[in-house]
Amino acid sequence: MKVGLFVPCYVNAVYPEVALASYKLLTHFGVDVDYPVDQTCCGQPMANAGFEGKALPLAKQFNDLFEEFDYIVAPSGSCAGFVKDTYPRLMEKEGCTSKVSGKVYDLCEFLYDILKVDKLPGKFPHKVSLHNSCHGLRELKLGSASELNIKPYSKVKALLNLVEGVKVVEPIRVDECCGFGGMFSIEEPAISIRMGNDRVNGHSDTEAEYITGADSSCLMHMGGIVDKNKMPIKMIHVVEILAAGL
Amino acid sequence: MSSKDYILNNIRRNTRQVFDKPQMDLNAIRFDDQLAQFIEISKAVGGDAVVLKEGEDINQVIRSLYPDAKEIASTVEGITLTTLNPDEVNSPKELEAVDLAIIEGSFGVCENGCIWLPQQIKHKALYFVTQYLVIVLDRSKLVNNMHEGYKLISPSEKGFGVYISGPSKTADIEQALVVGAHGPKGLTVILK
Amino acid sequence: MSSTKHAQNADVFQQNKEKATWHDNALWFVREKRDRISKTLPEWEELRALGEKIKLHSVSHLASYLEQFAANAEANGVIVHWAKDAEEHNAIATEILQKHNAKKVVKSKSMLTEECDLNHYLEAKGIEIIESDLGERILQLNGTAPSHIVLPAIHMKREEVGELFSEKLNTEKGNSDPTYLTRAARVSLRNDFLTADAAMTGVNFGIAATGEIVICTNEGNADMGTSLAKLHIASMGLEKLIPDYESLSVLTRLLARSATGQPTTTYTSHFRKPVEGGEFHIILVDNGRSDILSNEEHIKSLNCIRCGACMNTCPVYRRSGGYSYTYFIPGPIGINLGMLKDPVKHSENLSACSLCYSCNNVCPVKIDLADQIYKWRQDLDSLGKANSSKKLISTGMQFLFTHPALFRTSLKFSSLAKYAPRSLTFGLKEWEDGRSLPPFAKESFTEMWKKGKVKKK
Repeated sequence: MKVGLFVPCYVNAVYPEVALASYKLLTHFGVDVDYPVDQTCCGQPMANAGFEGKALPLAKQFNDLFEEFDYIVAPSGSCAGFVKDTYPRLMEKEGCTSKVSGKVYDLCEFLYDILKVDKLPGKFPHKVSLHNSCHGLRELKLGSASELNIKPYSKVKALLNLVEGVKVVEPIRVDECCGFGGMFSIEEPAISIRMGNDRVNGHSDTEAEYITGADSSCLMHMGGIVDKNKMPIKMIHVVEILAAGL
Repeated sequence: MSSKDYILNNIRRNTRQVFDKPQMDLNAIRFDDQLAQFIEISKAVGGDAVVLKEGEDINQVIRSLYPDAKEIASTVEGITLTTLNPDEVNSPKELEAVDLAIIEGSFGVCENGCIWLPQQIKHKALYFVTQYLVIVLDRSKLVNNMHEGYKLISPSEKGFGVYISGPSKTADIEQALVVGAHGPKGLTVILK
Repeated sequence: MSSTKHAQNADVFQQNKEKATWHDNALWFVREKRDRISKTLPEWEELRALGEKIKLHSVSHLASYLEQFAANAEANGVIVHWAKDAEEHNAIATEILQKHNAKKVVKSKSMLTEECDLNHYLEAKGIEIIESDLGERILQLNGTAPSHIVLPAIHMKREEVGELFSEKLNTEKGNSDPTYLTRAARVSLRNDFLTADAAMTGVNFGIAATGEIVICTNEGNADMGTSLAKLHIASMGLEKLIPDYESLSVLTRLLARSATGQPTTTYTSHFRKPVEGGEFHIILVDNGRSDILSNEEHIKSLNCIRCGACMNTCPVYRRSGGYSYTYFIPGPIGINLGMLKDPVKHSENLSACSLCYSCNNVCPVKIDLADQIYKWRQDLDSLGKANSSKKLISTGMQFLFTHPALFRTSLKFSSLAKYAPRSLTFGLKEWEDGRSLPPFAKESFTEMWKKGKVKKK
């Protein structure tokens, strides 16, 4: 099984430790991982802002770089979701076919659904408040969204619970948006910051030591608020907890 | 071209993909104890439902529930509390002083407390203008859900029918529930 | 970055932090009620799927259902009118009212008559119009518009209503008890119901098979008005039409549960014939609806049954209020309907979405609201309404990201704050108003990889 590690642009620059943990986790389970060094960005920031046209060359570039892999795995539900759901339509407009959309996975999704991980070696003796990111939840269906009347499940929580010592809690309004939304965060600063503050307070009220989640962009947004307000809660990507001890 | 033709032509010209009518073979909610469910939901929607016990006089039951009602309007058979025959007034506006109306429902819906009332009286205003409302309902006439309910309905001769569930209510001020908006301030279902 | 009208209005709304918090909580409360009640029905998700299919079917057979509806209604003694647009609707309503010499009209809640701006039109013709839904009446007395399609006065606090009523309805000064205020409105409106010459209503559902209209209210105001006056005029948007009772049974089960978390509205009234000795008119209103049919990306907007669930769940709507949008219908559905009405005029609502997709999940007829907002954003550039800084940033990002070597170089220097971070973290000032910028890592993942620090030996 050949897996291409897809590291979103801002993870690459700001959170390389998340990418490193992703690599360690995948190789721990015997997966053959490669990292195409020419990768940059999936194009979602431009497309969500209304410039799909500017995302198109990136989609083609991504397609060329990752086409050869059996699976493409990213430590970000939002970026994986964009490649999965938007690329086919986007590329079709130019008469191309996306050869990557059918095999792109969020890392947690990949561990849970493809590798069917049921054991993890590490320990993380801390209380963490799980942030259920919108795109992971409502696009990739990593868990049951609170609006739906379906059997409750959470792939992320199930994985976290495999780590010894971790205590997973969730905030009130269990899956409300953190207010990042890419360009939304600067185009609607008042609302975005308010949403972020509300979300961070929700997590903080659980008295957890960490906010964790499967999407670095939400963690980056909430982390910015935590830092600005000098709050004691810390941020950590789910992958880093899952890779504890590796 | 008339507006009608203009609109219909525009619709026909603009219609693209056509969708078939779906099969409505839904496995909708059902209740083992319909009577208990109906009573519970009637309370939940702000009203009440009482079962008329063997040998109980319906008039006494209603009187004990509404001891202060003076003007009582009804055409229901066996109701002797009546002070006004609503079919004998000329204008529905004359029903404004009614304290209590007693009417008969056709069937009740267990999922939401709705009672179907095809208009049987001269002025439908009675259902809404009365201060309090009693609906007499045969307890054997309960259905599980609205799908079953709508199967039982045929358009009423007088041209009006209404599902009523509980008393009139509003929450337009700060989402605070207030029972008795424009219509009845209370509703009791008597299950006979 | 120059912000949109919505963003500016939202900023003002957030200035009163306490009230903004209260508004958010009041609507979240409704969202939670909706969640709770939807979970009491095991078939809820199937019901939504059926609701969607019924509406898609109805909208794609609109012409034949309209003809069937009109023929049945006319056979029932109803006078059916067809209005191409708002102006024609208002003219028809006025003509009917003038023919009956009606000077005073009670109206129940109708978003369509808001859309047509009927009240001002009638007032200009010397016809008094009284809103009878409590929320709408509060706003009419206040001289303001609804901020929500189901909970029109949700933005007002009880104290504000108390003050308004003490001025307009002579209630006790300082008394803002909701029951007391509702009773005062009841007394005042009863007088209006009894003295009105005509009643106007909207329509929740038109039933093609029977020629009936169905109106759902909790207050009973539509019924009070129409059973006390001899003349009933119902204004119905074309998309309200559904085939039959079987379809209605699905949609009535979805409507109130989605709207307010109730198992049903108090009244589900079926109007088929005029009252004895009276007249019953139905005005079928197009006003752009038949044009939407050809817009395959946005046709699903016609599924809307006006429950307001998308507003209650929208994290942006809850925190910015209905008045922050330029269209009279706010929230996710309003963003979309506004764009369908006039994209140039209403494009500045498109920023009011973080693409969280919660609206898609609550919509009882499964309108892909967030996807449609995303699609509208793609049209901004061709409409000439694209934000120039956003475009510049996007162009910069495209350049950077299509040049892997340049991207790698930029990753190496945290001093790229001058250029790349603007792309990577967007507008610095707007971001830093409430958030710290994340520090760049000493070494990017790509660098680590290239230096062989990642791969295990």
